[in-house]
Order: sequence, then C-alpha cells, then structure tokens
Amino acid sequence: MSEVLFSCWNGKVVDNRAKEADTLESPAHISLPANFFNGKDIKAFMGWGGFVIKDSGISIVNLCVAFLEKVQQESCGQCTPCRIGTKIMLEIMRGIAEGRGREEDLADIISIGEFVRKASKCTIGQTSPTPVIDAITYLREEFEAAIASKNSLTKDDTSRYIGKVTAPCINACPSHLNIPQYVEDIKHGRFLDSLQVIRENTCLPGVLGRVCVRPCELSCRRANADEAIAIKHLKRFVADFESDRHITPKIPRSTSRKDKKVGIIGAGPAGITCAYYLAKKGYQVTVFERFGEPGGMSAMGIPDYRLPRSVLRREVEIVQSLGVEIRYNTLVGRDITMKKIKDEFDAVFIAVGAQGSSSMRIEGEDAGYKGYIPGVKYLLDINQGRDPYPEGKKVVVVGGGNVAIDCVRSSFRVGKEDVNLVYRRTRKEMPADDIEVKDAEEEGVKFHFLCNPTRIIAENGKVTGVELIRMELGEPDESGRRRPVPVEGSQFIIDTDILVPAIGQAIDLSFLDADTQLEVTRRNTIVVDPETMMTSEEGIFSAGDCVTGPGALVAAAGGGRTAALRMHEYLSGKPVKRSDGELMEDFFSAIGVYDPAEDLGIIGGGQRKHLKMMPPEERKSSFAEVESGFSVSEAMIEADRCLRCYRIGVVAL
Amino acid sequence: MEPQNIININGIDYSFTPGETILEVATRNDIYIPTLCYLKGMSPTGVCRICLVEVEGVKTLLASCSTQATPGMVVKTDTPAVINARRMNIELLLASGDHNCLARSLDAGLWTDFQLDALDIEEHRDLCPAYGDCRLQDLAILYRVKPDHVVPVNPKYDVEDVNPFIVRDFSRCILCGRCVQVCNEIQVNKVISFGYRGATSKIITRGDRALKDSDCVFCGECLQVCPVGALMPKQDMALRTPVNEMKKVRTTCSYCGVGCQIYLHVKDNRIERVTGVEGTSPNLGSLCVKGRFGYDFVAHPERLTTPLIKKDGEFHEATWDEALDLVAKRMNDIKRDFGPDSIGLFTSARITNEENYLAQKFIRAVIGTNNIDHCARL
Ligand SMILES: Cc1cc2nc3c(=O)[nH]c(=O)nc-3n(C[C@H](O)[C@H](O)[C@H](O)COP(=O)(O)OP(=O)(O)OC[C@H]3O[C@@H](n4cnc5c(N)ncnc54)[C@H](O)[C@@H]3O)c2cc1C
Ligand code: SF4
Ligand code: SF4
Repeated sequence: MSEVLFSCWNGKVVDNRAKEADTLESPAHISLPANFFNGKDIKAFMGWGGFVIKDSGISIVNLCVAFLEKVQQESCGQCTPCRIGTKIMLEIMRGIAEGRGREEDLADIISIGEFVRKASKCTIGQTSPTPVIDAITYLREEFEAAIASKNSLTKDDTSRYIGKVTAPCINACPSHLNIPQYVEDIKHGRFLDSLQVIRENTCLPGVLGRVCVRPCELSCRRANADEAIAIKHLKRFVADFESDRHITPKIPRSTSRKDKKVGIIGAGPAGITCAYYLAKKGYQVTVFERFGEPGGMSAMGIPDYRLPRSVLRREVEIVQSLGVEIRYNTLVGRDITMKKIKDEFDAVFIAVGAQGSSSMRIEGEDAGYKGYIPGVKYLLDINQGRDPYPEGKKVVVVGGGNVAIDCVRSSFRVGKEDVNLVYRRTRKEMPADDIEVKDAEEEGVKFHFLCNPTRIIAENGKVTGVELIRMELGEPDESGRRRPVPVEGSQFIIDTDILVPAIGQAIDLSFLDADTQLEVTRRNTIVVDPETMMTSEEGIFSAGDCVTGPGALVAAAGGGRTAALRMHEYLSGKPVKRSDGELMEDFFSAIGVYDPAEDLGIIGGGQRKHLKMMPPEERKSSFAEVESGFSVSEAMIEADRCLRCYRIGVVAL
Repeated sequence: MEPQNIININGIDYSFTPGETILEVATRNDIYIPTLCYLKGMSPTGVCRICLVEVEGVKTLLASCSTQATPGMVVKTDTPAVINARRMNIELLLASGDHNCLARSLDAGLWTDFQLDALDIEEHRDLCPAYGDCRLQDLAILYRVKPDHVVPVNPKYDVEDVNPFIVRDFSRCILCGRCVQVCNEIQVNKVISFGYRGATSKIITRGDRALKDSDCVFCGECLQVCPVGALMPKQDMALRTPVNEMKKVRTTCSYCGVGCQIYLHVKDNRIERVTGVEGTSPNLGSLCVKGRFGYDFVAHPERLTTPLIKKDGEFHEATWDEALDLVAKRMNDIKRDFGPDSIGLFTSARITNEENYLAQKFIRAVIGTNNIDHCARL
C-alpha cells in the first residue's frame, strides 16, 4: 500500500511530502482501504470532511473539478447557495484547470464557498465547500502554479474519478434506502412519491416499517443533537397510507419480456426481494416454497402482534402482480429435486434461510421429551394458530436475542401463565432490541439473568424442570462482551412444563443432492463470491440468512436485491460485478460516514414522535398489532426533523 | 419567573407562542427580515435563504422563516455576517439568469458580454415586464448589490410562450418554489415541481412539457406569487406597461356568484391585467382562469355597445327603450296566445343573488309560471 502524501480531514493536516520514508505520518482520523476497486489502488479521495492524496501524479485542481461536478449533480437545486454557489465555484475551478485561471479566482472561490457553507439548507451545501477551501488553503502553490502556467491540466489527466452521494443513515442501511429523500417527501406531503423512493431499494416497506432492526437509526446524525429520526415508523406510515386507502401501486417495469427463466428456492425476504427485482426487469420467475405461506421467518417466526400477516401478504401480492409464480407447499429435495430445477431454469437463487435451531449441547436434548420445543418450531406452531403443547402452562425460554423475546411474549398469547426467560449474561448484554425487552417486562415475563441450563429434568418422557447453573462475567471475548463463566457448584432447579431453547438458528442444506455440491463454511453457511453473489457452482446464486447466518430482515432483503442485480448481469451476458456505486458505498462504510462525536452546532430539543401502544394488560393476550402508526400530521412533523445529511465523495483511480 | 417563551432579537426580549417562527415573531414586532420564497400561512420551505439570521450557538446561519423560536434563543438579524450573506445570495441570484435590468452592474468588460448574451433571446430585447414590480430588483437596490466578481451561469432554457395565457421565462426564474407550493398546496392541481439538479434545476411539469400539454388549468395562481419576471400573463408580455403607469382598481369579479375580489390594472381606461386581492375573503388572492385572464371582452372591438333588432333578416342598431319595448310586447303576445307556461326563464351565474331573486319573482308574479332554472344547477 502506498503511503499518504498529504491529507486534511476534519481540519487535521498530515503532510508527508518532504518527509523521509521512516518518519511518515499516517492520518489517524481517516484511512483509505488498499486495493479497493477491483485491485486498483486509490490515488486520492475528496469528500465531505476533506481530502487525502496518495499519488503524486494527481492534480488537486482536477480533483476539485471532479468533486464539484459531482456536487452539482447531486445538489437538489432548491436552495440558492448550493445550487448557484457550487456551480460558480465549479466554473471558476474548471477555468483554472483549463488554463483560463485569473488571479482573483482563488479569493472568489473561497468567499463563495464560505457563503455556501454557512447559508445552505442541508449538508450537501454545508459540507461540500470544505474540502475545496481546505485544498486552496493548504496547497495554494499548486493552484497558483496552474493559474500562472495557463496550461490545461485536463488534457493529459488519465485518472478515473468516481463520485457518489451517501448519508450516515443510507450507508448504515444494508439495503441502502435513500432515507433523506423519502423522509423529505413525507415532510412535503408527497406520501406516494416517498413510497416510490423506498421501493427502488426494497419491496417490503410495510414489513420493514414494522420489524426492521433499523441500523439507520443507530447512525442517525440527528441523535447527536437530540434523538434519531423515527425512520422505521415513517416507512410504515407511507406503506400504510397506500394500503389503508386501497391504492394499487404503479410499479415501473421493463417493457421487454426476457425469455430467460429464474428459479428461486425459499419465499423469505431474500427470495421475495430477488423475485421482485428480476420480475421488474422482465424475467420469468418461479419461487419454490416449503410452506403454504410466503415470508419465511418474517411470517413463521415473527409473531403477528408485531407484524400482521396481512401486511406481508399484500406486499407479496404486489410481487406476484409482476408475474412471479410462487409454488407453495413444495419442499425442494422432496417434492422437486435440485437437479430438475437446474435443468429447468437459466439461473437459480438459493434463499432457504436459517430455519433450524442450534442445540444447547446439554443432557437430555435428544431424548425427545414432550415439552422440549426448539424456539423456531415453537413460534412456527403458534404462528400457524396452534398451541405447541396445550397441557403445559409454565414455560422457560433460554436465550437473549429477539427470537427468545418473541417466544416469551407469544407464550402469554397462547394462554401460558408463568413465563420465564433464562439468559447467561445480564440485561445490559442482551442482543434483543431494548424496546422489546421493556415490552416483555411490562407484560410480566420473569427474567433470570446470569444462569445457564445444564440438564433437562424429565419424568415419563415429559419435561418437568431444568437444572441451571449460576454464571459470572469474566474477561471480554472477541465480540467485546464479557464472557460468562459458570460458578462451580451453584446448580439449582426450576420446575417447568415447557423448555424452549432459543439460542441460535442452524442452516439446513439437506435439499442439496449429490449433483450439487456447494462449498460451505464451518458454520454450514453457503459460500458466495461477494463480487458476483455466485456460489461455487456457476449459475447458482445465494443470499440471505443461509449465506450470512441468522441475521436481520433488511440484510437478507438487501442481499436478495443485490443478487438480482448480479443475476441480471449474468443472464444478459454482461460482466458480473459490483457497480461503481456499490463499490463506493462499500468504500464509504470502510472509512465511516457517521461520526457520533460530531458537534452539529444546531438547536436540538426537537422531540421524536413515538407510536401509541396498547396497554400491557390488553396486548398481553392478543395477537392484534400492538402499535398503531403515525397520523398524517405526526408523520409530517417527525419528517421535518431530518437534517438531510447527504455527503459526497469522489475517488480518483 | 422562568425564562419561558421569551426570545431575544437584536438585544430586545420578545414573547412568543410555541410554534411561532423567528420570522413571525420579528414581523409581529416590526423587525424587517427580507423574504423571497416565504408565503404567509403556508408551511415554509426555507429554500431561498434570504431570510437568514444569526442564532447564538449555531454554526450556520438559519432561515428565520422555517426555524421555530425556542425559549432563550438569541437572534441577530442584521450583523455584518448576515448582511454579507444576503448580498452574496442576491449576487448569485442575479448571476443565475438574464436579469438584464438596472439591477445588474458588472464590470465593463463582462457587462457587454452579458447584455449581448441576454439579448440573444428575442423576448429579452425589451424591458423586463416585471421591471418595477420585482422582489429581486427591490432587494438588489435595497442591499446595493454590485455583482462584480461573479461569472454569470445561466442554464439557458427557451422561453415557453406556446401557452394560451402564461409565458414562462426560465432564465428569469430564481427557483424560489412559490409557484410549486401554491400549485400543490392551494390549488392542489399538483402540476409543477422542482426538476433536474444543481444549476440546471428547472420548475417542470410531468415529463417537462409545456403547461398547455400538462394538467394545468391556467388558474394563474403561480403568476400571482411569482416574485420576478419568470411567469407573466401572455397579454402583459405583449403590452409591457410598467407597473407605475397603471392604476389599480379594486372590484368584484362578475363571472360568477362567488364574488372574488380582484384588482383591475388599468391604463388609459383599458384593463391591462387582473390580479386577485390578497388576504381578503372569499378568494384570498386566488382566481380561476376566467376571472384572471378573461377580461379582453371589455375592450374588444367586436363587443356590442347597443342593442340590435333584426328586421327583414338583418340586425339594426336600436336604443334600449326600443329593444325592451319589443321584448315586453312579444312576451305579452306569447303569454296571451299560448299561456304563461309557454314561457321559461333561464338565469345565469354571472348575475348576483339579488338579481336571480328578482328573475324568479318576475317569472312567477309577472308572467305567472314556475318555469325557471339556473345554469349552475346542471
Ligand atoms: C423469531 C424471529 C424473529 C425475528 N425478528 C426479526 C426482526 O424483528 N427484525 C429483523 O430484521 N429480523 C428478524 N428476524 C430475522 C429475519 O426474519 C431473517 O433474517 C430473515 O427472515 C431471513 O430471510 P431469508 O429470506 O434469508 O430466510 P427465511 O426468512 O428463513 O426464508 C427462507 C424460506 O425458504 C423456505 N425453505 C427453506 N428450505 C426450503 C426447501 N428445501 N424448499 C423450499 N423452501 C424452503 C422456508 O420455508 C422459508 O420460507 C427474526 C427471525 C426470527 C426467527
Ligand atoms: S437526520 Fe435524516 S439524513 Fe441525517 S442521518 Fe438522520 S435520517 Fe439520515
Ligand atoms: S426578473 Fe426582476 S431582476 Fe430579473 S430582469 Fe426582471 S426586473 Fe430585473
């Protein structure tokens, strides 16, 4: 990796130009990943916080021109400073690059830039002049030389410049929804336009608007001033706005029908999303699904009180309206072989998720006791309207994640009276969503922290209790959380009728036949090339939980969409690879877009709007949706809190 | 007492009601903050950035129209930083189009180029029709802006004069977005929106078509709020009478019974333009296509000025007495020969309620029939 020659990021300068090799400094606040763009090294980068130059062949003037061009492309054109100011900066800078520079140009760029930075409405204008002003400030001699020489710098420039706009929230979202845009549409009352923006990146707005783990909100810049924007609830609002009014969405789709056929295994979020984007492109898509219901874990795992089945069904119907065929009750491996699918279709997408349960590796698990029910199976039964074990009234669920929480909360709803959750660390370390843990507490779940099961106790083939051992927290492990260690001799027993392990999910690939031997990892996840989304076998693609291991819906859906893009390239004979835009987004993730320590210098205090929730006593025994969505005015007021933190970056290759 | 709901502007404390913006508090207390895109009573967009003010503790300048007052906020409306930002803003706006009126004083070299460039467009050879009635010109004069170092950047969109009533001159558009807001929020026709990006931005219809090929109903609401010379009534473009030569006469529109309040802009006893009266019921400045543009009949050469009576298949001019006597006589004859029910009266929305009342009184009491109807009942 070549070293940084000069960098200025957030005002901190590193200047290695005249330094000996052994005294080189490296900028602590920004680091550029090496060999990023298909093995090409980045020569320079200019973005919202400054710029970094690695290759002495780069002309800073040309870099500024490329950057300002991108700014002009992305400026929404509404506020005066950014629309006209950055255009004039660009024209003056272009003049310098093309040998038409004048002495007063640099002062003009700086004074206009200072104005744009101070007066613009959103962060495109507020951040974009900074790197240009910094460049002129610290590398003034290069600009002056360009002005004096009257030569064109652009003629011999062989560098390729790639620009991209992002935002902290967009970058954090695995599906990269254009959040500031759809939020702004809500603010202006253009609810259906907002939904159209969302649908460019996901076909599950109503689902994600209810159950997404919302990585975007954890990276929302507004939180630096007061509270994050209610991005998830706003998405739900526009989705509900459309469905409540029975509006049939207009989905733009390619007019040319393609003769290529795609087979998809699994109608979970990954499979459905992939089907949607391929169908939009005109492919004939067939989905094979084991159950009689679409949605995968979002239907069979996530309980109805969080995600009503009707929401999921409607969104899948929209996908079907594009011509996608879903063959329900078809278990691949039993009802149809993998070989037959490969023969029948030009490309195959595997999205079978992680539908098995991990074992706790304790005595009695394989004994087949009545009352021992793995978490995923437990929820599956409840979601199909069955009480998994009607005789049992007392339940112990083991685990600290969302699945465990869903198990305990659903237990009340099928009439269980005494519901317990066992977790080996403390409340603070629980990976489950804090809000949901609170909801479960309110509903009356008994939590047992710092203990772990060691043995199942059974009589006459039925579970009667579980032996637990107390734990204490030791040294932090690789995840940064402190590792729980058992306290010798502290075993005790809780009586219970039902024991539900919910400590993890496993991937079941038994449907693959001898003919299809895909490369898998130690954890039994399918290996794909991140560049092509293809498995070890040509023409077979995969994404979702079966590739990543059990994860979040938005990640699985995002994987499905990316796979659709790659499959389209594959089927139309184009090079199968991540686009410049996708690579740039990866690049932004590597350098970090959200800075939790940034002082925004704005007036905070704008209170986030919260959804109304049924009181615990009422909701505890009901599968009806517990939260009700925003009203129109609540949504518009909440949307107005968004700061539109767009930021622009350009790399030179 | 807690310092609740008090905001300090330029060193003086003012009380505010929660939800009020800085601009509203300032205006209520006679503190002048210039605005361009701001439309009273509508949700502020904060895009023109002319109303920027300094707020203590905030890094950037804030748009006073869209920033709500908060307790203890300290605002300065006229610091050098604010004034300079406003001047730069006006300068940029002038540079972004063919604003070749007096407002623009470039250095001699650039000026000629600029004028020649502007004159390229035929419509720009004469004085800008907004001259004297232009917020941008006013602001440029008020802030004594001399754009001397700014390169003109003009996206050069053709003047759209194919529409029946409205001429759109994009090179004089400052993209304040007022037209977009009123089209979407007041008339709810949702015809126009911001299109394209950066300096090529343009107010567009769906598919960037001319207004006449869009869903536009030519109510002219956009004209009413355009602060510059970008949207002009077609008749005005032809006449180009400077505002100060026209007399404003307030009256009630006679097209229908709503009673919209209008101004007639009159020169030499001719109506040259109609605008809605802002802030007054029932129309609060809004008009329909007839009220706003349908005034040329008043001075139309083909307009009848006396009654005509047909004799031997040809019309002859007559006096009102002759005409009314004839009508009365014929009505009486018809009533006598065929009975009152052979006569019916159809009244019009162009007459007042009182006149409509008299019409039904006349047909019932004088003629003696219930045959009466009204065009608005359809
Ligand atoms: C209880 C629970 C709660 C969760 N809560 C949330 C949450 O709140 N928020 C969130 O973001 N994520 C949540 N998740 C995670 C989320 O549901 C998953 O990450 C997501 O559903 C994965 O999508 P997928 O398409 O990869 O796989 P899945 O959703 O597992 O779908 C796989 C599909 O393939 C089908 N299938 C499998 N094998 C075959 C075969 N051989 N033949 C035919 N069909 C087959 C399955 O029936 C299934 O429909 C939760 C998961 C669980 C279990
Ligand atoms: S304030 Fe808006 S744009 Fe900024 S991070 Fe939050 S949601 Fe994204
Ligand atoms: S729109 Fe206003 S500023 Fe522009 S030329 Fe016309 S009068 Fe002058």
